[in-house]
Amino acid sequence: MRREHTIADRVTNSSLWRAVVRHGYPDTERNQALIIASNVFLHLHPVKIKRYATKVTYTFCLGGLSFFMFLILVMTGVLLMFYYVPSTTQAYQNMQDIEASVTFGQLMRNMHRYAAHGMVIAVFLHMCRVFYTGSYKPPREFNWVVGVILLFLTFLLSFTGYLLPWDQLAFWAITVGTTMAESAPLLGPKIRFLLVGDNEIGQATLIRFYTLHVIFLPLAAALMMAVHFWRIRKDGGISGPL
Amino acid sequence: MADVARRPAGAAGGISDEKRQRLLELVRGRTAARPTDLAEDEVMVWPTLVVVEALSAVIFTFLLLVASIAVNPPLVDIANPTVTPNPSKAPWYFLNLQELLLHMHPALAGVIVPTMALVLIAAIPFVDRSPLGVGILFTSDKGKKITVFSAIFTTIVLIALIAFDSEIGVTRSLSGKVAPVVYEQLIPVAVMVGFSVVLGVLVSKIYRPTRRELIIALFTGFVVSYFVLTIVGTFFRGYGMEIQLYWPWTNLHEGAH
Ligand code: HEM
Repeated sequence: MRREHTIADRVTNSSLWRAVVRHGYPDTERNQALIIASNVFLHLHPVKIKRYATKVTYTFCLGGLSFFMFLILVMTGVLLMFYYVPSTTQAYQNMQDIEASVTFGQLMRNMHRYAAHGMVIAVFLHMCRVFYTGSYKPPREFNWVVGVILLFLTFLLSFTGYLLPWDQLAFWAITVGTTMAESAPLLGPKIRFLLVGDNEIGQATLIRFYTLHVIFLPLAAALMMAVHFWRIRKDGGISGPL
Repeated sequence: MADVARRPAGAAGGISDEKRQRLLELVRGRTAARPTDLAEDEVMVWPTLVVVEALSAVIFTFLLLVASIAVNPPLVDIANPTVTPNPSKAPWYFLNLQELLLHMHPALAGVIVPTMALVLIAAIPFVDRSPLGVGILFTSDKGKKITVFSAIFTTIVLIALIAFDSEIGVTRSLSGKVAPVVYEQLIPVAVMVGFSVVLGVLVSKIYRPTRRELIIALFTGFVVSYFVLTIVGTFFRGYGMEIQLYWPWTNLHEGAH
């Protein structure tokens, strides 16, 4: 029984390991509770949870999937930023380079794009799940509103990203979109100008969309997600049958 | 503390229901004031939930990788303001709005309808406040039937409306005869509000729903509209945004064709 002689035990007993990890191997309830409570990421979760809330057929993992897609987008997005310059004279060429000559560039672009579609779908379906299980009812009404804001931010994130490749598809899709905004009563032309930054879609638009897409909207979404997750805990965890 | 928690709801002087619920958590095992077995049945998050999360992360990373390796998304010609592709389409999740644009004034389709939709959705929990049916998919058997009924109703109505507008055409038959405000705004609003009311009345008459079940009908109407309009806008609108029923649908999204 001199277990401290195995290599694994030596590692986990070392002062370096102990400085970082404050719990033993999670095979006892005590350690399983500690691992959740002492890890900043895992402590998004409570230590215990109602059994029905872990059923995949209750949440369909859709909120988690929305968050997962967001994380993938952040990681692949940062990698794409190393190569992408938001300039009307360079952006398209950058895109071609990313696809043709950057190592794993095409893969990063594809994953970023498909995760973006995936996030829109996941968030929308998550909203449907929350609705059809009646999970918006008090005390969760505020979190439902936070969710609607997140849905809006998700659309905006996707829409601002759509212009960045600076190809015909991007240019004309944004033309259609901003023309729709222009027709708003009273403020329409002002809103369009705010978005486009010019009378026509050009450099001013590209830099606006880029800044919104890589800084402002991701931060806003992350902030709202923090509120959203915090609120789930404060509202008594995942909803369930009374 | 256990004492406070054991007092019945009304009598827990100064302690709100929610707080009482929390206190009950603290004295678990000592009192019997738990609503149902379901609410009592708890599991450790590690490993039960963490395993599911890790597994789905692996599965979806894998699926994303496979999709990304298998199919490259389009990168068409460089942006050119002087060459307008036909059709020019918004990103797919806005094609529902672009579809509306073909049938009504742009202020309605592009701004007022989506704003109203978001505001109304956000308002749902302030209209339906009863806790009945929380945690049960579709609330009840009736809720399920209402969902199916509303989905079928909405699909049929939308396809009929789109077909009517593309074959006969409200604008086409009325322009020049009446003020544009009639066919661009009044008729579309009347159609949208009208069919929502018809759906509500039909469901009320057939199913005698609770408020929650009535809202299920209307929300289903919204979700199915979003879905049907997106499909039509993506796959069935071709050159000049005319209805196009034939293959290939795929080149519609390539812009320049
Ligand atoms: C970026 C978007 C979003 C993310 C990352 C997200 C994430 C999550 C997660 C992880 C949960 C835990 C339960 C589950 O997975 O279903 C949750 C619950 C919830 N979400 Fe979201 N969500 C998002 C958008 C929305 C939207 C659009 C709505 C509604 C309009 C919404 C309303 C709610 C509500 C009310 C709950 C509590 C549900 C319950 O207690 O059963 N969320 N969300």
